[in-house]
Amino acid sequence: MSKSGISYLAAGSKEVRLFKGMNLRTKTLISIGLTVVLLMLIIAGNFTLSADNISTNFEIKNQPPSAVNLFGTDWLGRDMFTRTVKGLNISLAVGMIASFVSAVIALVLGISAATLGKRVDGLVTWLIDLFLGVPHLVIIILIAFAMGGGIRGVIVGVAVTHWPSLARVIRAEVMQLRSADYIQVAQKLGKSRWWIATKHLLPHLAPQFFIGLILLFPHAILHEAGISFLGFGLSPETPAIGIILSESMRYLSTGMWWLAFFPGLALLVMVRSFDILGSNLLLLFDPHRARE
Amino acid sequence: MQGGKRFIFSLVFISFIFALFFFSGCFEQVPATENGGADTDEAPKDELILAVGYEPDEGWDPVAGWGRYGSPLFQSTLLKRDSNLRIENDLATSYEVSEDALTWTVTIRDDAVFSDGEKLTAGDVVFTFQKTKESGSVVDLNLLTEVKALDDYTIEFTLERPHSAFSAILVSTGIVPEHAYDSNYAENPVGSGPFKLLQWDKGQQLIVEANPLYYGEQPFFKRITFLFLEEDAAFAAARAGEVQIAAIPHAFGDQQVSGMSLVNLESIDNRGIMFPFVKASGETEDGKPIGNDVTADLAIRQAINIAVDRQALVSGALNGFGTPAYTVCDHMPWWNPETVLNDADFESAAAILAEAGWEDTDGDGILEKNGLKASFSLIYPASDMTRQALALGVAEMIRPLGIDIKAEGKSWDDIQELMHSNAVLFGWGSYDPIEMFNLYHSSMAGFSWYNTGFYSNAAVDEYMELALSATSEEEANSYWKKAQWDGETGFSGKADAPWAWLVNLGHLYLVDENLDIGKQKVQPHGHGWPFTDNIAEWKWR
Repeated sequence: MSKSGISYLAAGSKEVRLFKGMNLRTKTLISIGLTVVLLMLIIAGNFTLSADNISTNFEIKNQPPSAVNLFGTDWLGRDMFTRTVKGLNISLAVGMIASFVSAVIALVLGISAATLGKRVDGLVTWLIDLFLGVPHLVIIILIAFAMGGGIRGVIVGVAVTHWPSLARVIRAEVMQLRSADYIQVAQKLGKSRWWIATKHLLPHLAPQFFIGLILLFPHAILHEAGISFLGFGLSPETPAIGIILSESMRYLSTGMWWLAFFPGLALLVMVRSFDILGSNLLLLFDPHRARE
Repeated sequence: MQGGKRFIFSLVFISFIFALFFFSGCFEQVPATENGGADTDEAPKDELILAVGYEPDEGWDPVAGWGRYGSPLFQSTLLKRDSNLRIENDLATSYEVSEDALTWTVTIRDDAVFSDGEKLTAGDVVFTFQKTKESGSVVDLNLLTEVKALDDYTIEFTLERPHSAFSAILVSTGIVPEHAYDSNYAENPVGSGPFKLLQWDKGQQLIVEANPLYYGEQPFFKRITFLFLEEDAAFAAARAGEVQIAAIPHAFGDQQVSGMSLVNLESIDNRGIMFPFVKASGETEDGKPIGNDVTADLAIRQAINIAVDRQALVSGALNGFGTPAYTVCDHMPWWNPETVLNDADFESAAAILAEAGWEDTDGDGILEKNGLKASFSLIYPASDMTRQALALGVAEMIRPLGIDIKAEGKSWDDIQELMHSNAVLFGWGSYDPIEMFNLYHSSMAGFSWYNTGFYSNAAVDEYMELALSATSEEEANSYWKKAQWDGETGFSGKADAPWAWLVNLGHLYLVDENLDIGKQKVQPHGHGWPFTDNIAEWKWR
């Protein structure tokens, strides 16, 4: 082990130890690769695992983890591994739709706040403050409840609550861009607002937008799980992580730890993967942070 | 790093939610230690802490329905049932029914006083029944035309039509004091029962103490605390020795708790599938759709009734704590034993379907008839794990038959919208035969939670009317039995099959080994409170 290696170790970062001898870019790429593979596996699992595994089978209920049932079975004899993977996929789908809608709202509001004059800016900023001021969960519960529960309510609820922080970032970015020389020139050359927005602003905003989108994911997924856990979301026979976790609470006192442990861990791993993915992509795309 | 912060935030967020749940569970238990002593050994000899019932929404007001299951605690009733379900006197000293079965005359005891010292007279009884009739609550008194006091201790009830089951109403209606009844009564009940209210912390606990003015035998326990805990919290409390009795779900039935024994009480607390009886046909007055083309087919309903393996549901969904159910009133005096089906019989079920023209023409495993797929939704209340297990279990059992049942969990509000056009997993079970009338008589179609499937059969209607106008219990029961199955028709699974009854739940309680809870009756619907019916007789061994 080289001297510089030791000093790196002394610095204490586990990541450094793991990726010893690689440069920053390779490390980032590997992190991204690993998380993408993991997420792909979850999605692939949805299609390869048969729905028969999660049909009721009283003969094999309440079984601890084994080679056949990796995560054990629940009180209806359903395979917890299959339920968990399917649950993660529901979370993924909800997260994907909700964060995409959220990000688009953020983009539209952010750009219009920065370009359409003081009054619009005031309105959008007020909206952002309003939504940031109220706890997400409360609004999501209200919306999901008003829409009669179900996956639609959850998606709408998550989508309309998660845009404000990204909208604020985009607004600031556009404000900064507007004073850039080439945009001033384009304006003087008589280019239309639309032309400037699509040709000059959007390309600059793309990295912020996509990374914001990815970083919204873990948030959206956790909120989906949270709202299902509280019973305002999906119907209880759906294999969703929040439902699995809230069911398992009832059985904890009988010692059936596997009902909560594995699905909870799986949720954590997936959320963390998105987080790592998002921050590493940020390192790749954002020239200011390339050396971090 | 921004991502790191987000991650930490997410973690904190999750732990916050979980913490919220854990601690809300704990807070509910705190008062137990404050008010009763945490340990059995330390608890004074005549105190009891229970976690058995849910908190009634209507409070402690019999006019609004309190006490129709189990003991009303604070109030007493005109009549009561002994442990063999025979009717005996309580406040009443005697009662008579006129020849035409329209007039009931009840004489009450003259030594009953309310817990505030005022005497209980016929005026209070009249007031109670008038108030109940006006309130339009779950207690249906439409058939009562007049109630009047003949003297201070005699009451005369006049009925609109003969009603042999009227005594059941006298059993379930606690008498409230006219002088102390106001809008706050549900929170400050005053009555002539064995207990009086000491403290009620909504959502947490109810503490009662013995009523020294009670006319009957003084209860052994001078002070009883009812904790309103979720089932798993009740189980945890029992384990920690904080309660002497805890109601527990079936899933916990095989758990051992030292110092406590498991009591599995038989019940008629049944669960079954209600099928819409008519084809899709319009809406109710308030716009709820009526009818379902698939379940309107007799063959579908009968096939499910015969194919379903009730014993497997008992051992699977109820962990073995329960019995198969064939009607709404199994083993009651008015039950017709001929209604028991030879179930789990797939061949006969398949034959019934084939004969009715159901056939799998497109090879997808689901039967069709004239382009109609044998597929329907079975709605269950999302919050009820037992009903979920039953719904999913039945759906799985029936699938090989070629009938596709989609189990869906909904809130009670949604169920009210959907219950006329979808199969629903309901539960009933009462000591009162009028329940059969409510569920199966055509005049009750679409009324409240009763005949939601719009079932109607003129012969059944007639039998039940005859049963109500019967003057003796035997005569009434013979008609009730015929309404179920008279050899040709009836509302049981043998004939019209508007319901597929599945199981009677066993009611499970963990009871302190040293506690004598007397002889318990077959339990009706409503886990928890029915158990307290003989609470005044409980004592230490």
